Amino acid sequence: MNLALMDMRRHYGKFAGATVGVGLLLAIVLIMNGIYRGNVADGVWLIDNTGSDLWIVEKGRGGPFNEQSRMPQDSYRSVAAVPGVARAAPFISYTVQRQVGDRERQFTIIGYDIFDGLGGPRGLVAGRPIERAHYQAVADTKLGLKPGQKLTLGLHQYTIVGLIKGGVDAAGNPLLYLALPDAQEVLYDLDNEALLRSRANTLARLQAAGLGSEQARRLLPLFEGTSRTINAVLVHLTPGSDTEAVAEHIRQWLHYNVYTTAQERTLLIEGKLKKMGTVLKLFRALLIVVAVVIISLLIYVLTIEKLRSIATLKLMGAANRVIVSLILQQSMVVTLGAFALAYTFAQLAQPHFPRTLVMLPQETFITFLVILAGGVLASTLGIVQALRTPARMALGG
Amino acid sequence: MDQEVLRVEGLRKVFGSGAQAIEALKGIDLSVRSGELAALLGPSGSGKSTLLLSIALIELPSSGRVVIEGKEVFKDGRVHTDVRRLRRERIGFIFQQHNLIPFANARDNIALALTLNGAATAAARRRADELLEYLEIAHRARALPAEMSGGEQQRIAIGRALANSPPIIFADEPTASLDTERGHRVMELLRRIARERRSAVITVTHDQRMIEGFDTVCHLVDGRLQSA
Repeated sequence: MNLALMDMRRHYGKFAGATVGVGLLLAIVLIMNGIYRGNVADGVWLIDNTGSDLWIVEKGRGGPFNEQSRMPQDSYRSVAAVPGVARAAPFISYTVQRQVGDRERQFTIIGYDIFDGLGGPRGLVAGRPIERAHYQAVADTKLGLKPGQKLTLGLHQYTIVGLIKGGVDAAGNPLLYLALPDAQEVLYDLDNEALLRSRANTLARLQAAGLGSEQARRLLPLFEGTSRTINAVLVHLTPGSDTEAVAEHIRQWLHYNVYTTAQERTLLIEGKLKKMGTVLKLFRALLIVVAVVIISLLIYVLTIEKLRSIATLKLMGAANRVIVSLILQQSMVVTLGAFALAYTFAQLAQPHFPRTLVMLPQETFITFLVILAGGVLASTLGIVQALRTPARMALGG
Repeated sequence: MDQEVLRVEGLRKVFGSGAQAIEALKGIDLSVRSGELAALLGPSGSGKSTLLLSIALIELPSSGRVVIEGKEVFKDGRVHTDVRRLRRERIGFIFQQHNLIPFANARDNIALALTLNGAATAAARRRADELLEYLEIAHRARALPAEMSGGEQQRIAIGRALANSPPIIFADEPTASLDTERGHRVMELLRRIARERRSAVITVTHDQRMIEGFDTVCHLVDGRLQSA
């Protein structure tokens, strides 16, 4: 005869309500687990799918993803000459927010050397790679574009020639691959109005410095910024070469920062993703505490309501384990029911969630164990109260 | 000859200590035989419930001796038995407020006493059905306490007290929450139980009208027992 279930049947509404409430809280915990792991997966996707052995960035910079790094475009040629380097290619990456179809979308443009191919899109799910130096693009499916569709960026239209799937930056923005000169143009070139304003401004400053109108006009091209910069140089090493030795050579002789793929991953996870990870961990901990407090209060209140029954059971000679089991079972039913609900909810939400959710089975299991321990802890208050209840409480007079 | 099932000798209960000490029981001697129907009468505050609690070792006596079925269970401040087991197996309780488990139906309230004593659920429910028949309330087997009248609830409480066929049944003001007619019916039932099942029934009451036909009537006045 299960007293716990009998009581739960009688207080069905309270238990169902609490289970659903706690279940939704735990669903948020599981989704937060998924968001963090999804962020890590998104964050390293580009690093893992670029196929570079070394990432070379501006000296003193943690780029190209954690902070901006600007290098002369030609720098890849000097890297290519380093012993042990098989291929070196320029790379550019930046996030933009532009009109795609009928709405504003944020996405990251990757510019790469289409003739070398290093840093370009891999594993196309539709179409083909970029084959011409200009006005072609490969997009991630998340952007909702189809091969053959046109996309306007700046002054030009780009034709989507291929699609990749799952290509995102560390913030989960879909990727758009362009040939390097196109990417540079989209990033650096000003629109006509801005260009005219910039030129007028420069002319005015030159004339204010004492130059005549004609002299200032002749000098004007020298004062216009160049778009011939890149963010990083990607390197493929020759087979058998010592990665650390090549990296050290580049650091010493070319004065750049050099990261291996593993270091670049660590840099991203420990840098850009660390704060988000810490915040998510804090929220997860808080939500678990809130869930445990809710279960504790529910079990405590229901125990208080049952004190006379518990005293009666003691008077009838019920062993302490019967009373402990009554309270513990109810706590476990709420905890396990809530977790089952949370798991189902998180699984159903996963495909429709706006960010990548990666739910690792071992992490879900650890969360389950933590919540199970929380459920046991939650019943402690009620159990202590029940055990302290004297049998004489059942008697009047 | 019915054997003695309960002997109480020089039972004292003192609450508090020093100048604040209150002696609620002042050396009670009592003997009850199986099948005997005994009433403890007394005004409110006379120590009736304290005596019941002390004999059942719910409230530990300060001194004296309690013997149940020839076994000394308490002597001079020391308990010589497993109290919970004693209550499960040898004592049945009937309370003023019935104290049924509100989330269990009538049948399970009775069966519960048996399962606490180690009986399997199915066997306990069969025995509960027999008792419900005996108490003429089988038609309410599936009703929750909240769906029953006070008289029906008290019958279920009596069934629960009888479930393990204990040699002693303590009833603490069993008619206090019932009207006179229902109160008389409950008392008649207790008389029948003592007669037919040979349990010693010790009833605490303050209502003299309810003790008609009792074998023994003891008056408790200021913590002392006076036989009628």
